[in-house]
Amino acid sequence: MLFNSVEYLIFLPLVFILYWIVAKFNNLKVQNGLILTASYIFYGLWDWRFLFLILASTIVDYFVGLAIHKKQSQGDKGKLFLWLSILFNVSLLGFFKYYNFFVDAFVDMVLLFGYPIKSTWTLSIILPVGISFYTFQTMSYSLDIYFKRIKPTHNFLDFATFVAFFPQLVAGPIERASNLLGQITNKRSFKYEQAVEGLKLILWGLFKKMVIADGIAPMVDDIFANYDTMPASSLVLGVSLFSFQVYGDFSGYSDIAIGTAKLFGIELMSNFKFPNFSRNVAEYWQRWHISLSTWFRHYLYIPLGGSRVSKIKSIRNICIIFLVSGFWHGANWTFIFWGGFHALAYIPVFLMGRNTLYKNNVVAENSLFPSLKEIGQLFATFTIVTFSRIFFRSESLTDSFVFIKRLFTEFNWEPYQHPMGYRMVDYFVLLAVFVLYEFRMRRDERNPFKFKSPIVRFIAYTLVIFSILLFYDDGVDRSFIYFQF
Amino acid sequence: MTTESIVHSFIFSSDMIKLFLKISIYLILILLSLELLIRAFHLYPEDSPRFIDEMGVEKRIPNYRGYSVTGNRRQNFSEYHINNQGFNSYREFTPSYTKQELAIIGDSYIQGFHQNYYNSIGKKIENRTNGLEVYEYGYAGWDLADQLHLLHAYSDDFDKIDHIVIYLKYPMDLGRATYKPNTTRIKQLNSTLFKIRNKIKLLYYASQIGFLDPVKNLLLEKQDAKKISDNNQEALSDTLYIANFNQLIASYPINKSKTSLLLDKRKTSIEFLNHCEKNGIDVIDFGSKFEKSKKPVTLIYDMHWNNNGRNLVAKSIIEHLGL
Repeated sequence: MLFNSVEYLIFLPLVFILYWIVAKFNNLKVQNGLILTASYIFYGLWDWRFLFLILASTIVDYFVGLAIHKKQSQGDKGKLFLWLSILFNVSLLGFFKYYNFFVDAFVDMVLLFGYPIKSTWTLSIILPVGISFYTFQTMSYSLDIYFKRIKPTHNFLDFATFVAFFPQLVAGPIERASNLLGQITNKRSFKYEQAVEGLKLILWGLFKKMVIADGIAPMVDDIFANYDTMPASSLVLGVSLFSFQVYGDFSGYSDIAIGTAKLFGIELMSNFKFPNFSRNVAEYWQRWHISLSTWFRHYLYIPLGGSRVSKIKSIRNICIIFLVSGFWHGANWTFIFWGGFHALAYIPVFLMGRNTLYKNNVVAENSLFPSLKEIGQLFATFTIVTFSRIFFRSESLTDSFVFIKRLFTEFNWEPYQHPMGYRMVDYFVLLAVFVLYEFRMRRDERNPFKFKSPIVRFIAYTLVIFSILLFYDDGVDRSFIYFQF
Repeated sequence: MTTESIVHSFIFSSDMIKLFLKISIYLILILLSLELLIRAFHLYPEDSPRFIDEMGVEKRIPNYRGYSVTGNRRQNFSEYHINNQGFNSYREFTPSYTKQELAIIGDSYIQGFHQNYYNSIGKKIENRTNGLEVYEYGYAGWDLADQLHLLHAYSDDFDKIDHIVIYLKYPMDLGRATYKPNTTRIKQLNSTLFKIRNKIKLLYYASQIGFLDPVKNLLLEKQDAKKISDNNQEALSDTLYIANFNQLIASYPINKSKTSLLLDKRKTSIEFLNHCEKNGIDVIDFGSKFEKSKKPVTLIYDMHWNNNGRNLVAKSIIEHLGL
């Protein structure tokens, strides 16, 4: 079920009303049972067979968590059980997401040594939606118990609800038990302000998805499908638009997820903090897909020694997390190159000691407008990140390199025409307004309609819904980009 | 736990009541504002009312002016004018034996709601000729049966007209062999539901851009599945289309000396073209001019002819008929 579908428009209010009716009777079990059932329905409507994978991952980590804790109380670390969790979840991912990739890579490698083999080992496997997200979430639970950050829950229902909580089940934010599980095990009470914040976030998320991402999608698809005939100007436009598309799509999803959770009295972690206003690549990674980058930081980078080891080892650690992060996105060399490119862009920032420089402040911190220096920094970071997206968006490495080659050789200027014949200026105005508005709200990603005057707020709601109607295109595929990961 | 106690306990959460109340008020006010915005920017199309006249011809209610709007953000915006005869045209149709007249009969392409009525194919032909009056009998959705029925129903008028051009889209316009007025469509368009849709511009706009399609699809999912299985028959063959054509011509004979079929030869089967030649039916092809054109001939978001396409169609008719 998609957040931007009619089914969800019926599903959400129904679950919301039932949930708060149940809450009236102070029965947490029934309330969590309802959320779990709703989550399984939400996921099962896509493909019920893959519910068994979620259930398997839930059962394994539930018992692993208890076993690690028991071992620790007996003086043992419980490493064996931790490895069991990692092995199980990585195997699930490995089989459904990476099996064919490794088979193809093996065949290519053998071919490189002059032994062509005809592979019959690849399988026709459907990638279960959200598998990369919920396996990482369950693993983080076992890891947190292992590192003694949390204690395991004895309540299976609570744990299953934590794993399958429908707002964030299929595309995150990848939650930590320390945040989400604690809220699930405690009584939630309805708070008016929280519900209103949730509704505002849902509306803002729908705008980002249905207007920004879906509005741009036909142009990006057209440019990347025909890049071999397009001049450099169109390619620059295509990849820049893709930057906005993927941001609108994924951060829109996260906003709807966070907003929906708020309706149920639950606070999810922020996943995006205006990455387009980053002053260097390190700041970008503190603002983009935060739940994943902090996952890798906590469970991979720091256990490897992080930056508290020698410079060489730190650089090695940076390379590892970026390459793994790239590979997490998909079984394709393009994602590995994308990760590698970001590692190369991050290392100089790290070596100059500027990787934590902007951790606790935003651009134009104490002023209305950014300084010229800041504008230059924003532009440079956006350019680097956008350039890396050529790898992210291309079907293959060959496509990426031909795209890049044309970017530097095909200088003949030709104005780009929208594939459906729509006016291009509409989109440029839309993006300019969007960027300016996001700049205005850059300090608080969880409060998109922060106006004191209720009249101004009302006008903003109306304009956002009006723009959804203005940019609606029934020919666009409405699914979210990150579902494929 | 009775239903009453559930509702009671739920309703008495004051915050919840406040939330629902506010959502309802905001929703109503936002919908009203959207209605105003849609009206202010004239994003909605205006469909002129239709009816079936005493001769059994489906047409528009006479003397009606409005604007046709296509796509979101008013991608195409044009004015139409329904004349006394119930067709979109810049002129009234007053056929006589003394004047030189040309009638063009066809579907939405000839009706021309996608262009300003004063820039139609007929007007383009008149501008390029001397003293010729062009009557455009266009009506969206018409097929050959409708067109020939019109010729037959108003035979007195058409007898006076010097040239008759019938626009034919092969094979779509040859799907049936007999004419029957589409009373169901007229009834549907005059139903309360459609009247409400036409009154509420927001609803009309949303429906026109496909915004309401997901809701319709959800409601009609089962019916659609049935339709698909019903339509899963083999495509009709040329033989059948030609048989339909023959039957229609037999039912509504045409004056071959002054009647021509306007069509795109590239999209028409050779069998049909040969059949026309054999039976002495004149054919005007505009496809070759379209093929040679360096500029697009159709609107991109709507496959009707654009200004260039209409120019080329007008030229094809003038050249072929030697007007």
